[in-house]
Amino acid sequence: MDKTNQSGNSVEFPSKKGQSVSRRNLLKTGSAVVAGTAIGSNAITGFPTIWAQNIKNVTLRQFGTGVSNINEIAKRAKQDLGITLQMTALDTDSTAQRVVTQPRSFDIADIEYFTLKKVWGSGNMQPMDIRKLKYYDQIVGTFKNGKLTPSSKIAQGTAPHTVSFVENPTDRKFAKGQTNWYTMVPTIYNADTLGIRPDLIKRPISSWTELLNPEFRGKASILNIASIGIMDAAMVCEAMGEVQYGDKGNMTQAEIDKTMAIFTEAKQAGQFRAFWKTFDESVNLMASGEVVIQSMWSPAITKVRSMGIPCVYQPLKEGYRSWGGGLGLSRNLAGLELDAAYEYINWYLSGWVGGLLMRQGYYSAAPATSKLYMSEDEWGFWFEGKAAKNDIVNPFGQKMEPAGAKRDGGSFYERMGKVECWNSVMDENRYMVRKWNEFIAS
Amino acid sequence: MKRYNPIVLIAQVSPISAILGLFLIVPIATILIVSFWDYSEFMLLPDFVWTNYYDTLSSFVTYKTYLNTFKYTILTWFFTLLIGFPVSYFLCFHVRTLRWQIVLFLICTIPFWTSNIIRMISWIPFLGRNGVFNSMLISLGLTNEPLEFLLFSDFAIVLAFVHLYTLFMVVPIFNSMMRIDRSVLEAAIDAGANGWQVLTNIVIPLCKPGIAIGSIFVVTLVMGDYITVRMMGGGLRASVGVMMWNEISLLLYPPAAANAVVLLVVVLILVSLMMRVVDLKKEL
Amino acid sequence: MRERRGKEFYVLAIFFTVFVIFLYGPVSAILILSFQGPNGGLTFPMNGVSIHWFFALFGEQLVGDFKAAFLRSLQLGLVVMVVTIFVSVLTGLAFRKKFFGSTFLFYTTVSSLIVPSILVSLGIGLLYNLMEWEAAWYSSGMGAHLTWTLPFGFLIMIAVFNRFDRSYEEAAKDLGASNWQTIRYVVLPIIAPSLIGVALFGFTLSYDEFARTLMTSGVKNTLPLEIFGMTTNVTTPTLYALGTLTTIFSLVVILTAMGIVFYMQKRRERFGTDAGKGV
Repeated sequence: MDKTNQSGNSVEFPSKKGQSVSRRNLLKTGSAVVAGTAIGSNAITGFPTIWAQNIKNVTLRQFGTGVSNINEIAKRAKQDLGITLQMTALDTDSTAQRVVTQPRSFDIADIEYFTLKKVWGSGNMQPMDIRKLKYYDQIVGTFKNGKLTPSSKIAQGTAPHTVSFVENPTDRKFAKGQTNWYTMVPTIYNADTLGIRPDLIKRPISSWTELLNPEFRGKASILNIASIGIMDAAMVCEAMGEVQYGDKGNMTQAEIDKTMAIFTEAKQAGQFRAFWKTFDESVNLMASGEVVIQSMWSPAITKVRSMGIPCVYQPLKEGYRSWGGGLGLSRNLAGLELDAAYEYINWYLSGWVGGLLMRQGYYSAAPATSKLYMSEDEWGFWFEGKAAKNDIVNPFGQKMEPAGAKRDGGSFYERMGKVECWNSVMDENRYMVRKWNEFIAS
Repeated sequence: MKRYNPIVLIAQVSPISAILGLFLIVPIATILIVSFWDYSEFMLLPDFVWTNYYDTLSSFVTYKTYLNTFKYTILTWFFTLLIGFPVSYFLCFHVRTLRWQIVLFLICTIPFWTSNIIRMISWIPFLGRNGVFNSMLISLGLTNEPLEFLLFSDFAIVLAFVHLYTLFMVVPIFNSMMRIDRSVLEAAIDAGANGWQVLTNIVIPLCKPGIAIGSIFVVTLVMGDYITVRMMGGGLRASVGVMMWNEISLLLYPPAAANAVVLLVVVLILVSLMMRVVDLKKEL
Repeated sequence: MRERRGKEFYVLAIFFTVFVIFLYGPVSAILILSFQGPNGGLTFPMNGVSIHWFFALFGEQLVGDFKAAFLRSLQLGLVVMVVTIFVSVLTGLAFRKKFFGSTFLFYTTVSSLIVPSILVSLGIGLLYNLMEWEAAWYSSGMGAHLTWTLPFGFLIMIAVFNRFDRSYEEAAKDLGASNWQTIRYVVLPIIAPSLIGVALFGFTLSYDEFARTLMTSGVKNTLPLEIFGMTTNVTTPTLYALGTLTTIFSLVVILTAMGIVFYMQKRRERFGTDAGKGV
């Protein structure tokens, strides 16, 4: 109910680009990465399959946060599939509310994994049959067994793979390992850290502890979404050496109390200028100079930078806090609509959307398919962490980075490999939320 | 005159009774019931537990929040009255023609017809660290550092409230003043009273009902506010409304309901105290 | 009080002027900023002057749909207005006499004003949830709006009827008019100008209602909710352009209404009745 539908800048979208780039890339990279033929033909011709004629008249109602519920995706889906998508953008807390309280109001839920953990038990969603997911093989390991590469260690918190599978379609409990029923198809994720204004701070920042450094009194901010904010807070307290956590993603009451005590003290000392809830708020805080250091999401940084204001997504020695989101299906979907939803989700993973998201600074769950829709330079900059050869332009035509720039934190593997914890729903969630509210109110 | 035909009477009052019954009384009863329920992450569990009230009333944060809300309420009330009374007085006693009264009154009301939220956010470019007001102060040499307390602070919250709600104070006071019989004032002056005595002995006592009605408006609007505190306080400040809203947005409906019941009781007590000054039916 | 204007007048006149500046100051900042150049931001200084952001408002948007929200609010406001007029007049007529339960109904209606909006919102939201009814702006949303507009309409009607000179009605009846004819041809024309006031209240209170709509409008946003969404999701002066437009729209509505009132008063002066003059 916290409605946060918004609208943004009117955008110019180079609609031809996706196709031409993909063609060029396809020629160049050939079958190098992807299960070639299907994607190749799709990319070029759109998406004509068996259902194409029937599903043309289907309307799917999707909601999610403003980051991925953008009208461009709906427009393109209409073009490629004929499906009409009604997008509603909400803030993170409201997405959980929507699943739980208005199950008949949506067909597709675009939510975060920690939200999924909260709401799955309501029985308002249904899992997907993996056999119907064309690009399941392309999805990175993080969303299957938790390992980015076979040797990676699994981060703390609500790691996506822990809530990704159920044994049976009607189960309300998650399965331990991988099964044939996928609760949500991952679409978007990133490694988060602190954003800073280097021009106003004027010295290197290397640790999460700086968020509470009295030097930035009245110029710091943190996000007010309990399940995410508590993780940022834990990163800070752990880095300060004030609290040792058994598992940051599943704190005890005592750990929660200690963490909140430290932050409450800082708040009362005037450390924070404001709290934010949606990523545009964080952009406004940073761009206006009200805040110089804060928890921030990657595209918010790029947005500030595109305004010509210096802003860095500072990699920190303690690692990143990560989040991920995906598309889930409403329990009420059936028949033709359900087919259309599968079709849409397959299309979503087929690369165009992934490219759109990657070129804003997020990661796609199936990066290999997205590569087809990015120029070599874009891929090099956003994914491989290489220096840009030309100016980097976002999908909306705004210049993000000049030639020669490098992505903060480096390549995909460097960034996602240093994830320390995921946004979490803990066993003590009820207690944590109460304490978090008290912190906000204190 | 004849008595009412009962059928006509029922036809006349049933629409309002039905609407208020369904959308006011039943919902409040629902809140009352739900405030005793238990809950999980994603569902309400019908039950009869006191934990929601216990959690609310045992937390020092609740008291702090109420204290904070009272602070906003009292400050807003004080300033709206301080501004509203002279404005009404000016309109009523110093503007001599009805035409001018209407024109000036309209000038005051026009901003009122603009979206509250837009009126609120319009303070942000004005008061921010690099906002209009700070730039002005700096260029005038009145300060070197921008004043930080202007935005995202108690100051900003009260300022926005006063900006939004002063008119609610002006209208009823103006209404009361217009009913004061001018000959009473003239008689007082003829009897040798000075301006101050006229004001304190005649005008203010006769305006009490208007002041009370205005105060009721201001107090209830501020006590239940969520959005002003959230936007002008930068998410840092809490009021009862904000606390409830946080709970609502995290699906904690039963605690929010318990909070709502407490708030309702507090507001009703405050209003009934203010109602002692005024017989609403006679004032109309 | 025909004496010359004293010092008091000037002091109060200055005070009044400052008050007006206070009322208009920040809104004017928004009016100016909405004409930012295409590269301008949310704050001063101006980066060129253009009407770029007004076009942006009506063009394709990144997320959300402001036009649809505006149309919803417009329709809702009009319906709420009509219902408010109709129900307030009926109730006003009933309240000309004491009847069983009149005090209870009176205080219930007044309490509808006093109960904090967030409670109404939460209550209706919860009720619809538990009943598994689908909340929507035209059902639960409208109900929530009526809890806000009806008491205003009702109180205005009570005030009107308190000042109503009954002798007109009696004269009509003496001349053989039926109850219905009396109301239709005598009472309604006399109270008509005050109905404009009720209409204006009904429409604008609904059109601008935020807190009571928050949990009751279902999945589709009304304009204030959309604006609220924009404040957290928009980083361009589009928001200010919207502010400027809504201000102009409100101005048009109020000026139209005032025009009608003046017109009716002129007409009345010509036909020479002063009944119902009190409001």
